[in-house]
Amino acid sequence: MSLTNLVSLKRRGLLRASAAAGMASMVTSQVTWAQSETPVKIGQVDPRTGTYAGLGENQIRGATMAVDELNKKGGILGRPVQLIVEDSQGLPGPAVSKAQKLVSQENVNFLIGSVSSAVSVSLSQFANQHNLVYVDIGGHVDSVTGKDCKWNTFRTCSTTWMETDADFKILFDKFGKKWFFITPDYAFGHALHADYVAQLTKAGGQALGNALAPLGTTDFSSYLIQARAAQPDVLICLQAGDDLVNVLKQAVQFGLNTQMAIAGAQQELEVLEALPPAARLGWWTFEWYWNQPGVPHLEEFVAAYKARYDNKVPTARSWFGYATTHALALAAGQAKSLDSMKVVRAMEGLVLPPEIALQPGKCYYRAGDHQMIANMFPGHVPANATYPNLFEVAQTVPSGTVAKSPDEAGCKLVYPS
Amino acid sequence: MEALLLYSAFNGLIVGIFYALMALGLSLILGLNGVINFAHGTFMALGGYVAFTIEPYVGFWGSLVVAPLLCVILGVAVERILIRPLYGRDPLFSLLLTFGLAMIMEDLIRTIWGSIGQPFALPNYLNTPLSNSLFFLTGYRVVLILITALVTGALFAVLRFSRIGIRIRAGNADLETISAMGVNIFFLRAANFGIGIFLAGVAGILAAGQLGLSPSIGSQLIMPSFVAIIVGGVGSLLGSVLGGLIIGIASGITAAFFPVAQEVVIYVIMAVVLVARPRGLFGQEGLFE
Repeated sequence: MSLTNLVSLKRRGLLRASAAAGMASMVTSQVTWAQSETPVKIGQVDPRTGTYAGLGENQIRGATMAVDELNKKGGILGRPVQLIVEDSQGLPGPAVSKAQKLVSQENVNFLIGSVSSAVSVSLSQFANQHNLVYVDIGGHVDSVTGKDCKWNTFRTCSTTWMETDADFKILFDKFGKKWFFITPDYAFGHALHADYVAQLTKAGGQALGNALAPLGTTDFSSYLIQARAAQPDVLICLQAGDDLVNVLKQAVQFGLNTQMAIAGAQQELEVLEALPPAARLGWWTFEWYWNQPGVPHLEEFVAAYKARYDNKVPTARSWFGYATTHALALAAGQAKSLDSMKVVRAMEGLVLPPEIALQPGKCYYRAGDHQMIANMFPGHVPANATYPNLFEVAQTVPSGTVAKSPDEAGCKLVYPS
Repeated sequence: MEALLLYSAFNGLIVGIFYALMALGLSLILGLNGVINFAHGTFMALGGYVAFTIEPYVGFWGSLVVAPLLCVILGVAVERILIRPLYGRDPLFSLLLTFGLAMIMEDLIRTIWGSIGQPFALPNYLNTPLSNSLFFLTGYRVVLILITALVTGALFAVLRFSRIGIRIRAGNADLETISAMGVNIFFLRAANFGIGIFLAGVAGILAAGQLGLSPSIGSQLIMPSFVAIIVGGVGSLLGSVLGGLIIGIASGITAAFFPVAQEVVIYVIMAVVLVARPRGLFGQEGLFE
């Protein structure tokens, strides 16, 4: 009897304590805002689970950091900013249903997110049906700002064409003209492969073969065996995320790196960090890098990020999330409105200020196709590299010099009348 | 052509080893504990992650022994605290429990070690091909096969010759009778669960060396492992091992010639087995027919 009372007493005390704690945290986080002010809501749909979870996590971190900075400086249009994150699992189906939830239940003002190209295409379509501004943070397939471009969709990361064009010449001149591809079997991989083959053919090279591996493949042995049998000069691995970790790890176990150059288009700090030291190699393109000597505000950004996130340096994904969120705030500020069309018009041609661009040159959302024009960072992984110095940038290539024009990319923006 | 077939079959064999080790543990737990353990995949991932953490101190070989044992401690705790109250109820209860547990554990792994994969490094001498013509035969793959053979052999020896092994087999046949004969079945079930988790831990470390170590590594392998049990036959440990190897090899060969179907083929085999021989290759008659 007394035992039961003791338990229920404890339980009540616990409930009371947790309720108090909950109230306290609500009060402190709201301290700078009057209660009547409704927040500006940014819905972020990014993978927290699945093959691309690591990449998605950093996009979320970047956006979260930007939202905190905005709230310290007065929010958007004097209203607090709220970031609502939903897990897309990296798959188009769940992504769209999460976006649906954000629109119907949360009434979000803006939609951002995506790592997988397949998700970007679906979210762009979805946002278009709802007249919602959508910024594709990290899905690269050309068509999003190419033939399927939409008036309401912008993109912060580069296109697949830019990723292949940035390091094509280096690879071709340095390693030779016979190439073999291992390609993830969906929109992103197909686009990268087609773009490389176009440039390879133009330059007089030869594509020896293309092994299509499904997304989420864990064992790449059979594709690597085909690659070895083809005896190319260069093995191009077009995977991303955990898939790229697996293919590189197994390529090194088979000793392929001693027989051919291993290279590719997109490489990321997340992938290199997850690789065992022996498999950290190859020639790739980064889309943003934390170590660019002489770039203003960069050191402060890196230091602030490291302080927040247990001493990890920001990656390209972190920057995508960070820059996208700030860009939306700037555009809304310029438009003095949250109306989709007015914000879109303000985003068109919007130039990122240096403290947000965090790289040299002019970084802006091109008006003709809503594609961010910034820089590409081709280079290679140095021998015996250790975190966070896992990449050596060979040159900084302004994206404007490698990007297709909106016409070439096949983008014709149609605005609602 | 023959060479490609040989390579692919061998690749499939390597993947099949993981399925077999997982299926073996699942099958043990399903037999005596009557639990469909959906958390088996996350115990496997945990094995890999624990090994990754302790490897700098105890080395690769040390981690191969210590990490599975640490998993066993957690596994037995889970069995004692969470699963034990559910014995005797509908199997659906424990299925739902382990399903939820799998999600909680996967998120815990993500919280502790991060959602980005971790670099699980192998000793250099294992990480190279044995010879140039036999390039697909890396030192690590040979070790994989040897360790799996050793672990499986040891398990069958324990079940055949040791007192506890004989009791586990007897309990599988008739739990009530051996309980009436004075065998402590609660201890027996905890031990059996622990052995199953040990196998998952070993599979996790071996997989971390071959595949990447990411939080979802277990959920990628768990479904094919269930299929392995169905193909091999519910109730037969040997069947589970062979079932795992069969679907692994089938998937490996398919990957070489028709990559998009490499996952589907596993389920096609399961469907064929269920239609043609519902008890599986070595299963006991009567469970499904």
